[in-house]
Amino acid sequence: MLEGTIVLIVKSIVIFAVFLQIVPLILLGERKLLGRFQSRIGPNRVGPKGLAQPIADVLKLLSKEQFTPATSVPWMMAIAPVISVTTAIATMAVIPFGPYDAWGGGFGLYGIDVSIGLLYFFAFGSLAFYGLVLGGWSSGSKYSFLGAMRAAAQLISYEVALGLSLLGVAMTAGSLSLVDIVEHQDGMWFVVPQFVGFCIFVVAGFAETARAPFDLPEGDAEIVGGYHTEFGGMRFGSFFMAEYMEVLIISGIGAACFLGGWRGPGPIELAPLWMLLKIILGATFFIWVRASMPRLRYDQLMSFGWKVLLPLATLNVLVTAIILVAT
Amino acid sequence: MWFEQVLFFIAGIGALAGALGVVVLRNPFYSVLALVAHLLALAVLFLLLHAEFLAAGQVVVYAGAVMVLYIFVVAYIGGSDEPLRPEGGLLNAFGPLFAAAIGVELCIAFIASGLDALDTRGADVGAGFGSPAEIGQLLLTRFLVPFEAASYLLLVAAVGAVVLARRRRGLEDIGALEEVGAPPDRRNPPSAETTLEVRV
Repeated sequence: MLEGTIVLIVKSIVIFAVFLQIVPLILLGERKLLGRFQSRIGPNRVGPKGLAQPIADVLKLLSKEQFTPATSVPWMMAIAPVISVTTAIATMAVIPFGPYDAWGGGFGLYGIDVSIGLLYFFAFGSLAFYGLVLGGWSSGSKYSFLGAMRAAAQLISYEVALGLSLLGVAMTAGSLSLVDIVEHQDGMWFVVPQFVGFCIFVVAGFAETARAPFDLPEGDAEIVGGYHTEFGGMRFGSFFMAEYMEVLIISGIGAACFLGGWRGPGPIELAPLWMLLKIILGATFFIWVRASMPRLRYDQLMSFGWKVLLPLATLNVLVTAIILVAT
Repeated sequence: MWFEQVLFFIAGIGALAGALGVVVLRNPFYSVLALVAHLLALAVLFLLLHAEFLAAGQVVVYAGAVMVLYIFVVAYIGGSDEPLRPEGGLLNAFGPLFAAAIGVELCIAFIASGLDALDTRGADVGAGFGSPAEIGQLLLTRFLVPFEAASYLLLVAAVGAVVLARRRRGLEDIGALEEVGAPPDRRNPPSAETTLEVRV
């Protein structure tokens, strides 16, 4: 009992530390890659080849003023970024980095393996919405409010398609647990039999993380910065961090559900390395798309989500169910 | 074990405080947030009762979807400077009375069954109790008819919502409008300008 508790605590610290370290690296990678995509060099002044840029960024954010407008609700502005970051970190507990006992010692290389695995992801995903809405509403600014309402409508619309795209995977694997889902991709990754589901997942994942081309909640050409317009210093930094954590989570869930999770050549001890590689590749894909695609219009976003993606996802589930029952 | 007990009391207090907050708070936005807190505390209580699926469903459906709509409406319409107040009169006099009566009745019912459970370890549940697999099994065998009936009810509600939503922007086909009982203004037929306004 005590041993189990200690293992859980160590796991929590490791997950927290690893993901918290990856976020600045992804940020640096994004700025470097965006620079390359746009024929620039990117940050190269701080440290060798600009490698220390994230440290400089974080130091700058930490030392900045926490400004609150006169029309705002200050205590709510303080907790909104906390909600965003907490829900993002909590979701990471279910992303599996390896099977049970991969490194010996009688523990699995994942935070927790719950029977409701995917639902846990959706539960915290839907709570993340409150971080954005409270942030936007409590700022007492019209732009923030518009951004928050856009974010809310977008998350609600695309969460349905996201859920349905993963339902096909859950039905094929016969389980909601992410560890079981990876175990079931023994012969073939689910990206092959569930290709339509994978495409829907990728598109809905972009909308769910509010990244380009679906970054309307913070569309800076229209509504300044959306829900985090009035936030400064590390509060803004927290929202920013939560966004990149969401990218890592969507990459992680996608890798576990469609790309074989920790599976890869080599001994089983290398499992976490493969998973990490797949997550980083997923995040790179997010950055690539951001550099390549223009932002959608709001009505395009809504009608695409409800009139194209949702029926397609429903059809995918239906066909999967028929195939599963028939075979 | 002690951890579960501590969690139970935290969640219980949270649920009660949230429920009280919904009726006591004057600002509708805070009331909705209190309801969200209440629902989350309930989800924790479900978890303590080994009902994982129910807890996740509670968070996804209620806290994540239903309450979002409430927040939408309140944030757009309910201003923080217009607190919700009852009109007074009969409602003010009898409302607390009925509420107190129901509260006493519920307390009697709950405390009676709660006292019975003292010094026991609660109901014996199987290993897979409350898991998605077990609930799915039950929904498709024992509770198939209610489950299907509920899904038809939801379908009807969804169709109804679409019909109601279409009625407002139906100026382009006046014939359809007359059928659903909203006569258009014959003397001032909608010009291109007003049509545009409604569409926006």
